[in-house]
Amino acid sequence: MPPYDRIRRTLESGGVVLLDGAMGSELVRRGVRWRGNGLRTSPEEVQALHEEYLAAGADVIRTNTFQLNPRTVLNVFRSREHMRHIGAPDLETRAQDLTRKAVEVALAARERSGREAAIAGVLSPLEHCFRPDLSPPEKEAEAEHAEMAAILAGAGADLLVLESMNTIAEARAAARAASAMHLPIWASFVLGPEGDLLSREKLEDAVRAMESMGVDVVAVNCSPPVDVGAAVKRLRQATKRPIGAYAHVGKFDPPSWKFEFHPQFSATEEWPPEKYRDAAGAWRKAGAAAIGGCCGTGPDHVRALREGMR
Amino acid sequence: MKPYDAIRARLDRGDLVVLDGAIGTEILRRDLSWADHQVLAFPDKIRSIHEDYLRAGADVLSTNTFQLARRCFASHFRDHAHMRHVGAPGLDRKADTLLAAAVNLAKEARSRVGRPAAIAGAVTTLEWCFRPDLAPSPEEMREEYREIMTTMASAGADLILLETVNSIAEAKVGLEAARSAGLPCWVGFVCDEKGRLFTGETLAEAERALAPGKPDAILLNCAPPADAAAGLRELRAARKGPCGIYPHIGRFDPPEWLFTEEFPPDRYLDEARRWREMGAAVIGGCCGTSPDHIARLAGGLAPKKTS
Repeated sequence: MPPYDRIRRTLESGGVVLLDGAMGSELVRRGVRWRGNGLRTSPEEVQALHEEYLAAGADVIRTNTFQLNPRTVLNVFRSREHMRHIGAPDLETRAQDLTRKAVEVALAARERSGREAAIAGVLSPLEHCFRPDLSPPEKEAEAEHAEMAAILAGAGADLLVLESMNTIAEARAAARAASAMHLPIWASFVLGPEGDLLSREKLEDAVRAMESMGVDVVAVNCSPPVDVGAAVKRLRQATKRPIGAYAHVGKFDPPSWKFEFHPQFSATEEWPPEKYRDAAGAWRKAGAAAIGGCCGTGPDHVRALREGMR
Repeated sequence: MKPYDAIRARLDRGDLVVLDGAIGTEILRRDLSWADHQVLAFPDKIRSIHEDYLRAGADVLSTNTFQLARRCFASHFRDHAHMRHVGAPGLDRKADTLLAAAVNLAKEARSRVGRPAAIAGAVTTLEWCFRPDLAPSPEEMREEYREIMTTMASAGADLILLETVNSIAEAKVGLEAARSAGLPCWVGFVCDEKGRLFTGETLAEAERALAPGKPDAILLNCAPPADAAAGLRELRAARKGPCGIYPHIGRFDPPEWLFTEEFPPDRYLDEARRWREMGAAVIGGCCGTSPDHIARLAGGLAPKKTS
């Protein structure tokens, strides 16, 4: 049975699908040097973390490909010519190569775990996930997401998840690009302090746009648990489709560098696994069918969620 | 006598002033990540890099503050409201804390080694150094540079080294801010293969535009040796005052650096001899260079003006 069929069946029968927790912030917490999402220099640690999430009970594991795209590489150069002139020799295919590697280690982790989990290829905003103002024009975004979607699908992802989307336009572009792969698509949005999308667009408008794109699950993520709880209620009102929730815990504590999103979170101890499990229990009651953890969470949080679902 | 007075006197005579080499890439070479500049997490490692450059013979130490500004933290959030909502407390003041701590580490290294070097507060473009298109408005720039320079001055920097500047507009604002803080100021530009700024502006135009602000030196940096030398040629043709050069070697491998064997210290010295002949008074190293490179420069270049 293809790995996603079991997930689909669970969702159709009103059951809960357990997602994994954070990749980036957990790798950073473990001391993995944040370059190329850790995939170039510490792929074994990336794989080990996937294995821990699977052992904790995750039904879906997400590839460690957040903000891994050619644009983030090109952004630190004046132009493509400048990149060729002063950059390392393999930069033009760096993000693409590492994306393939990311799927490879997720597949290897599943193989070793012996579990029938589905592997979700992660597509994220092309620019910084917390900067909707930088999101590229829809046409441009679609072409760039299409390149990454094809790599994720070609390498063996079972579904594609659009994660931490911060504008409706880019989510639509990514969904359109993803739909050409004929894989199930989930779309998840990051919330602003006002409770709507980070772009201030209405959550309900985002749901409508995603429904029209044929997205299987609409979710919210990378926002504090309290905000996620409030958003789940609105999502439930807005759609009949399965909805999902995975909050971040602690505080985003970026270091002093000017590169892409750096998944460093502090004060995560304010949300120990049991407290997170209790919050997630409320999301479940409010109708969330796909539940997991975003930045700041780790295998212990996912284990607690699994126990809470028993 | 202030530490910079000795440097100024040497520049006035046309003598050589040795600037240090890379800090950021040296942190990487010593197997640390560059996140947070490691100023608070590994102060001993940062101080020892400064000490190694001093022992190598550097006359001017630059602080470990490349692109360190309030904006570094703020750019990771949608706006202030978002930062307050999901960000760690104190991110607004963190750049200031790190800047002051970084100047202190350079000062500590100087007193430990006991060499009378000047400490240059390194200040880079507010947005990404290779992207002039991202530069903030002049009003925002003015306010942010003023903050940085005030912190640098009160922490005890002897001069400001504006480096990897990519436009005349930003150089002018930075220079004015350094002057307002009462500090001497060197201005380093990044340039392309033809020796032009990334905005397409020429170094002759830069010299003309900056002249009223009286920069204490104008330099070329963070470009490959051949490119920086092309910039130096253009600059020297237009400028009588002190000029300098400190290219990068190796390859930019974001967010880190790829170290190559293309310019080992001996070859770097050969290049530096040519820069000296072209009229460079300040010579050092940017990304990829190490204390060994600086030791070769300090030991191999004639200290006095020869022609």
